[in-house]
Amino acid sequence: MSEALSAPLAGRGAPAVPHPGPPMIGMAGVTKTFKRRDGGTHLALDTIDLDVAPGEFVSILGPSGCGKSTLLYIVGGFVAPSGGKVTVSGDPVTGPGPDRGPVFQEFALFPWKTVLGNVAYGLREGGLSRRDAEARAGELIERVGLKGYERFYPQALSGGMKQRVAIARTLAYGPKILLMDEPFGALDAHTRIKLQNQLLELWERDRKTVLFVTHAVDEAVFLSDRVAVMSRQPGRIKEVVAIDLPRPRHRDELLLDRRYQRHVIDLERMIEDPPDLAS
Amino acid sequence: MRAVAGSLHGLVGLAPIAGLVLAWQVLLTAGWVPSALLPSPGAVLARTVASLGDPAFLGHLASTLYRLAAGFAIALAIVFALGLAGATSRIADAALRPVIRVLAPIPKIALYPALILSLGFDDAPKIILVAADALFPILLATYGGAGAVEQKLLWSARAAGTSRAGTILKVVLPATLPSILTGSRIALVVACIVVFLAEMITSTDGLGYLLVRSGRAFQTVDMFVPLLAISAVGLALDGALAAARRVLLRGFPEEE
Ligand SMILES: Nc1ncnc2c1ncn2[C@@H]1O[C@H](COP(=O)(O)OP(=O)(O)OP(=O)(O)O)[C@@H](O)[C@H]1O
Ligand SMILES: [Mg+2]
Repeated sequence: MSEALSAPLAGRGAPAVPHPGPPMIGMAGVTKTFKRRDGGTHLALDTIDLDVAPGEFVSILGPSGCGKSTLLYIVGGFVAPSGGKVTVSGDPVTGPGPDRGPVFQEFALFPWKTVLGNVAYGLREGGLSRRDAEARAGELIERVGLKGYERFYPQALSGGMKQRVAIARTLAYGPKILLMDEPFGALDAHTRIKLQNQLLELWERDRKTVLFVTHAVDEAVFLSDRVAVMSRQPGRIKEVVAIDLPRPRHRDELLLDRRYQRHVIDLERMIEDPPDLAS
Repeated sequence: MRAVAGSLHGLVGLAPIAGLVLAWQVLLTAGWVPSALLPSPGAVLARTVASLGDPAFLGHLASTLYRLAAGFAIALAIVFALGLAGATSRIADAALRPVIRVLAPIPKIALYPALILSLGFDDAPKIILVAADALFPILLATYGGAGAVEQKLLWSARAAGTSRAGTILKVVLPATLPSILTGSRIALVVACIVVFLAEMITSTDGLGYLLVRSGRAFQTVDMFVPLLAISAVGLALDGALAAARRVLLRGFPEEE
């Protein structure tokens, strides 16, 4: 592990080096308890400490029910933590805001709006005129490869297309952080790979900070600078693994890369370990 | 393709109606029901068509339509106000839900005598009755729909910069529109029934009054004309709602 961390970082897209200022996302001692039906409490997240540097791509990997989504919702400001603190550029998070753009597994597109209307939504909310918002939305729709579908309603689109609209809708209002909750989890393998490539391309271009939730090991390794592995009951961060793979990354090269294979194998083992061995 | 399938559906839907009319005719032809009590469907249809040229009949039709429309508009306005109150304030929501549940099953027609006593024999008590009866199906459907708005739609809007209050108009209302329209279609049927009943009980005009007047005069053919008319009114208004639905809800899955 320490070898990998100290090894010289190759390629253009090296993981963010330790940053002098405050982290882009700071999670300090974040806990979340839910009330159970029987009156007891359920500790979903236990003392999560994790910092994400500006421009860094960090994945949260873990088994179902370990609290990945909950953690993402807390960073998004949608759900309040029971304890601990979340900061964005040093400022405490008190609610949702356009500096953090969510992308959900369920797409969550507005069914009453067209593709254009969905993507333009945040721009209109940001005060742009309809004309400017739609012009800008049009560019984004083209960028995610959906030119020609502007006037379609979401229900007429495939899952992959819907998720691309959702990504465009979020990119539209220019968040500096993307919060992605298993965005490709509901897609077939082929579409999933296509969108992973597309996301990497987008990210390598404008280097947003990304917090990416997944339970797919290969996806986490392919995309991330670092992978935080979580364990279940209570949800804890078991280990944070730096992915020392050069960027820009190409799937076909990576699949043959020993380091990639090593990471996949190591992480798979880490997830399989019973949780109590970790602590 | 879709148009063909649609018209096929329409034809299949017509069959039972044709069957009913046929059974009606058979009852008469076989002599099971004396024609003095039950006129033939042909005679009723002919009289209805003829009535459409009769200004007096059209006046009655207009009275009924006016009461329906006014009552319905009031019901919708109340739904909007209560919905907004319930969506903005938890306290209002908690206060409203039980009272709506308690009032919904009460037969509003039972209040009609009291309404007449306080408001007279004019349009007002009938309009209020229509509003009271149309209100609850729409309200209950609206509550159901508003409670089921997908949380991530709200979150998506909030993250895009919409204020909490802003999401009521920008997310909750459009997301609830399908339920509001579904409730409205049910309410429309109830409204047609209740306006007719109210006119039968006390009125000097309207389709319900026409039926009672014809009945007193043993004009059996004329008794069936208002029934056919209210059925046609309901059908036409439902068609209008369905058309509104298609325009307003282009993005939603179709209902049937
Ligand atoms: N609103 C809630 N009320 C009660 N318990 C909840 C709530 N949300 C989440 N939980 C519980 O918290 C734990 C973590 O849930 P969460 O959805 O964050 O897991 P996850 O890692 O995202 O799982 P998955 O991979 O299946 O999406 C689960 O045990 C879940 O039952
Ligand atoms: Mg989840």
